[in-house]
Amino acid sequence: MVYIASWDDFVEKSVQLFSSDPEKTRYSMKYRHCDGKLVLKVTDDKECIKFKTDQAQDAKKMEKFNNIFFTLMARGPDADISEVGGKEQTEAHPAKKGRGRKQ
Amino acid sequence: MVRLQPDPFLNELTNMFERTTEKGSVWVTLKHSSDKSKVQRNKMKTAGEKIEYRCLIRATDGRKTISTVVGAKDHQRFQSSYATILKARMTALKKRERKDKRKAADSDKKLDSKKRSSAAKKTSN
Repeated sequence: MVYIASWDDFVEKSVQLFSSDPEKTRYSMKYRHCDGKLVLKVTDDKECIKFKTDQAQDAKKMEKFNNIFFTLMARGPDADISEVGGKEQTEAHPAKKGRGRKQ
Repeated sequence: MVRLQPDPFLNELTNMFERTTEKGSVWVTLKHSSDKSKVQRNKMKTAGEKIEYRCLIRATDGRKTISTVVGAKDHQRFQSSYATILKARMTALKKRERKDKRKAADSDKKLDSKKRSSAAKKTSN
């Protein structure tokens, strides 16, 4: 069980895992209200990565992560997750800023 | 394993969160699935039929398990309802209070250093 410290790393690796084996990859979430702990796990039965937290701000990040995975799993690994506000969108921003300054 | 429609599934998931407030965990698993057995899938592949994939969602509290399938068309609606439930229920997580703690720690340190410097002056005299 590999616990990943960085949230962004966890998200990137999870998406990679899913793209490499969409048939087997699954995303699990465990929430314990009594302990105030949240654990996320993504595995394809060969590799496994986990992320644990007790911070409320990570719950917000997890929501976006859920959106990404819902889109990927419902539509397929080739789904466009940029609408969800995934990482691909951040590349589009600098181009727009450039145009604004020239004007 | 109880297979439900998306809306009853969400209701039952809310109940699970309510039941596990004092003790217990809630597990939710998402999987990309065609909801067909391997034999059926192979048959469909050889026949050239397109296999429709959906998102399989399972939830359990350790005793009872419920599941539902969400297709590409309704996943947006399901995901927003699901997010609402989580936001409402995941209230036990800690809020970021480090800034407050740091300010308190800094003010304590300042008081300590003042005390020490005043004590040092007294001893030197």
